Amino acid sequence: MTMVQDMSNSPIPTPEESARPSLGELFRRRPELVSLTILIVLCIVVAAINPAFLQASSLIDMGRASVVTGLFALGVFAILAAGGIDVSFPAIAALTMYSATLFVINVWPTAPMALIVASTVIGGAGLGALNGWMVHTLKVPSLIVTVGTQYLFRGILLAFIGTVWLMELPAQMTAFGKAPLLEFNGVNDVIVTLPMYFLIFPAAAIVTWYMFNKTLMGRAIFATGGNADVAERLGYNQRIVHVFVFAFSGALAGLAGIIHVCANRMANPFDLVGTEIEVIAAVVLGGARITGGTGTVFGTITGVLLITVVNNSLVLVGIPSTWQRVVVGGFILLAAAFFVKRQKK
Amino acid sequence: MKQGLKTTSLFAAAILSAVGMVSSAALADDAKSITTVVKISGIPWFDRMETGVTKFAEANPDMAISQVGPSTADSAQQLQIINDLVAKGTDALAVVPMDPAIIEGILKRAMDRGTIVVTHEADNQKNTMVDVEAFDNAYYGASMNKRLVECMGGTGKWTTFVGSLGSRTHMQWVGAGEENAAQSPDMELVDPNNESFDDANLVYEKTKELLRKHPDLKGFQSSAGNDVLGIGRAVEEAGLAGKVCVVGTGLPNPSAAYLDTGAITAIGFWDPQKAGMAMNSVAKTLLEGGEIVDGMDLGVEGYEKVTVKPGPGDGLLVFGNGMVLADKDTYKDYLF
Repeated sequence: MTMVQDMSNSPIPTPEESARPSLGELFRRRPELVSLTILIVLCIVVAAINPAFLQASSLIDMGRASVVTGLFALGVFAILAAGGIDVSFPAIAALTMYSATLFVINVWPTAPMALIVASTVIGGAGLGALNGWMVHTLKVPSLIVTVGTQYLFRGILLAFIGTVWLMELPAQMTAFGKAPLLEFNGVNDVIVTLPMYFLIFPAAAIVTWYMFNKTLMGRAIFATGGNADVAERLGYNQRIVHVFVFAFSGALAGLAGIIHVCANRMANPFDLVGTEIEVIAAVVLGGARITGGTGTVFGTITGVLLITVVNNSLVLVGIPSTWQRVVVGGFILLAAAFFVKRQKK
Repeated sequence: MKQGLKTTSLFAAAILSAVGMVSSAALADDAKSITTVVKISGIPWFDRMETGVTKFAEANPDMAISQVGPSTADSAQQLQIINDLVAKGTDALAVVPMDPAIIEGILKRAMDRGTIVVTHEADNQKNTMVDVEAFDNAYYGASMNKRLVECMGGTGKWTTFVGSLGSRTHMQWVGAGEENAAQSPDMELVDPNNESFDDANLVYEKTKELLRKHPDLKGFQSSAGNDVLGIGRAVEEAGLAGKVCVVGTGLPNPSAAYLDTGAITAIGFWDPQKAGMAMNSVAKTLLEGGEIVDGMDLGVEGYEKVTVKPGPGDGLLVFGNGMVLADKDTYKDYLF
């Protein structure tokens, strides 16, 4: 048991490596340490250029900004680990969040918040399971399936459910988005708030970590991502693995969607679409291989923080808006190249 | 699967054109038709435009007037719709192009066949007879900035948001704003032209970052429709409503709550209802063989005395005076 667990932590087990691993060796075995190093260096550089970066308000804003991306990324990480890829999660999030909000407004305005969240999680899991079932049954690459369902889910949303911005959210949803975990007055009497919903990201990360490291399903997922044929011969039911992993990603997407709505205080059916590339970039920067079978939850969180810090410090650093996309693109390219080089060695 | 899709869409196209033939045959002799083609159907902006088209249709019962549009923001789908309409033989097209360049070809073919072509929000469209703009872009940007300067008392740091740096009209608006602000020497522009991609959440995060870098930031001028919502939320959450001035393009309904709390100072927009009516009015004049001349009255509020200039192609550019700047006290007159 412990043997296999170790395997899932160190993606490329090489028996010959022994007592004193060099730094390069360590980086190769634990790619998430590379992302952590980049993250720390990046923070030092930004803080050196503009010390305002180190204000509590700045860290809190970044914590808040990382929640939706983070939940998406945990789902994508699970699917990458199983050797697949998912680009439909923003569409799942948009469809579930908008339908749930519309239902609550029109049919049951006093619905308890817990039930609203549960409905989007279950709805997301259902749509995700559909993805997984199709990937397994049709034997089509998951990229193709999820590109298809992305259009399908979005089409259903816009054609049958609605295209109107919902600005007047029910009171319990607004309250959920505003409820403070901590609140204080920052520089210039500006009120700084860390919302309660921030806790959902670490909670989801712990659940994901537990699943991958402590349950049979976690091992089945890594085995499938490593080599699906071998995993099947080992007796891991491929249908269950596929349906589960996509349902898991869908559930997290549903959760992220409803948080997005409550935090933004509006449900815009055109939102979220287009975020998939950034999320996948975050997971890859966290050390997961796009070809599957590797990665860690810790690395994924580091990748999410990397993307969040880059996105939220461009103005602080003073990069003019004409150059911001160049900088983000260049950064992702450099960091990813660094990784691939390390992993190949 | 792909094959299946293809067959289905062929089938759908066949049905569509069959329906088209029947309806155009029925209309062939009597009524002249004007069809308005919008960017996306079903969103509030173009629903509002449809109310204008419907109003115009009621005022002209002898003509067949309607509005159509693709279900998603897709220039290829819009092109397909225009193609079908030209094939069907509509007498006049009033188009709000998703991407003017993509439909240049089909508009040219339509005009060659004798179809009247009018456009809106496309002052760079070459193949059009008349492009109707609600206002002069420089005037709009300067007017929003005047409101901002007034709110800021003519002094302090301010910044700007654009949908994207490639969006020509947005750059014209903030450019004119900058020129206007330059008249007040105490107005200091910082970190300008932030890109919003019309994403309220992104704008929210950018606004917080800007407020952190410049704690004494006092004004925002924004361009894309969702920008004010993101700025408004950030300002309100920071407890700065009423202390920071926010003036930008926005729609009355979504902005209402923030206008009430003072997190948004004022929103600028043009009424798509009036724009739809103005386009149809121009199309009708052209169908009847009339001419569009400087200073004429299109019979629509905000377009009583239009300015006519030569367009980028052989057509004309028509500017109305249809800008609306609404604040807490006046937005209720325009709920859409």
